[in-house]
Amino acid sequence: MPKFPALLKAIPAVLIIALCTPANAKLISYVDGIMVMQENDETGHTISMDYTLDPHYAVGWYSKWEENEKGGKDFSVHGPEFNTLIHRWNLPDGQANIFNSSGAGIAEGDGKTRSAAWTSILADYETRRVFSSYEIRGMYADTISASVWQRARIGIAPYKAGYNDVATWFMVQVDDHPSKTDTLVVTPLVRFFYKTTLVEAGYSSNHHIMLNWDLQF
Amino acid sequence: MKKILILTTIIIAAFSQVANAATITASVNGLVCAFCATGIEKTFKKQTAVDQIKVDLENKRVTIDTKPGQDLDDTTITKLLINSGYSVTGITRGK
Repeated sequence: MPKFPALLKAIPAVLIIALCTPANAKLISYVDGIMVMQENDETGHTISMDYTLDPHYAVGWYSKWEENEKGGKDFSVHGPEFNTLIHRWNLPDGQANIFNSSGAGIAEGDGKTRSAAWTSILADYETRRVFSSYEIRGMYADTISASVWQRARIGIAPYKAGYNDVATWFMVQVDDHPSKTDTLVVTPLVRFFYKTTLVEAGYSSNHHIMLNWDLQF
Repeated sequence: MKKILILTTIIIAAFSQVANAATITASVNGLVCAFCATGIEKTFKKQTAVDQIKVDLENKRVTIDTKPGQDLDDTTITKLLINSGYSVTGITRGK
């Protein structure tokens, strides 16, 4: 965590802004919408910003500082990414999606800079009371790193939040990332959102705090 | 007499404008998450014809109040809701 003091110092300020501003956990929001996501968890720190071009495509920027890599080989990746809504099922009482997110840029680590590329498939299904998602992501960064990672989430909402209410979700996230020191990690978390601001906080089985936020504007 | 006629015309025209404000209700599939549905509000509020918009997750409805004398046709409403990520199952209109 202390490797990015400037970033960490900025988090409270951004959170304050986030909590005061009218902010999607999905890779595509609405046409002309901008989405900023920031994640801090046992895998490292991520920031991404995406602009939705049309109902199926968004473009943006992805930066991730990977931590807790096996052998201390932490690294970062940065580059533009392209998000695609492969399919959406709008159901009377639910919504299901399959997304792809792919990007290419540079990786920095071990004193080297190399080209990098990544791609992921994310599937989710949610109702007003139940949430589930699964993501598989591949990262190739030449001699710096090459890995495949999986993440699954399930969640329940204790009440059906209305459009103008604060929504609360209790979730469990399971990560399987063979390139990390701790391969299998479970993170119970709570998610709150109100209008365009989403905040998540949790604590992982390998004793790391999770603090994520999304803004949509 | 002429003045009365002009005044009556103005009053009728004014009432006619108020009467032309429409309330349109769209039934929408996929409306489960308020965080995602804020895109509907933002998208519709960019339309000059829109006065107010209400999103009702419980009844899966989006209600649009237009400004006096203005309207949004069904094709535009459907396109805006698709751009927001949702599917439209029906549109009804009431004054």
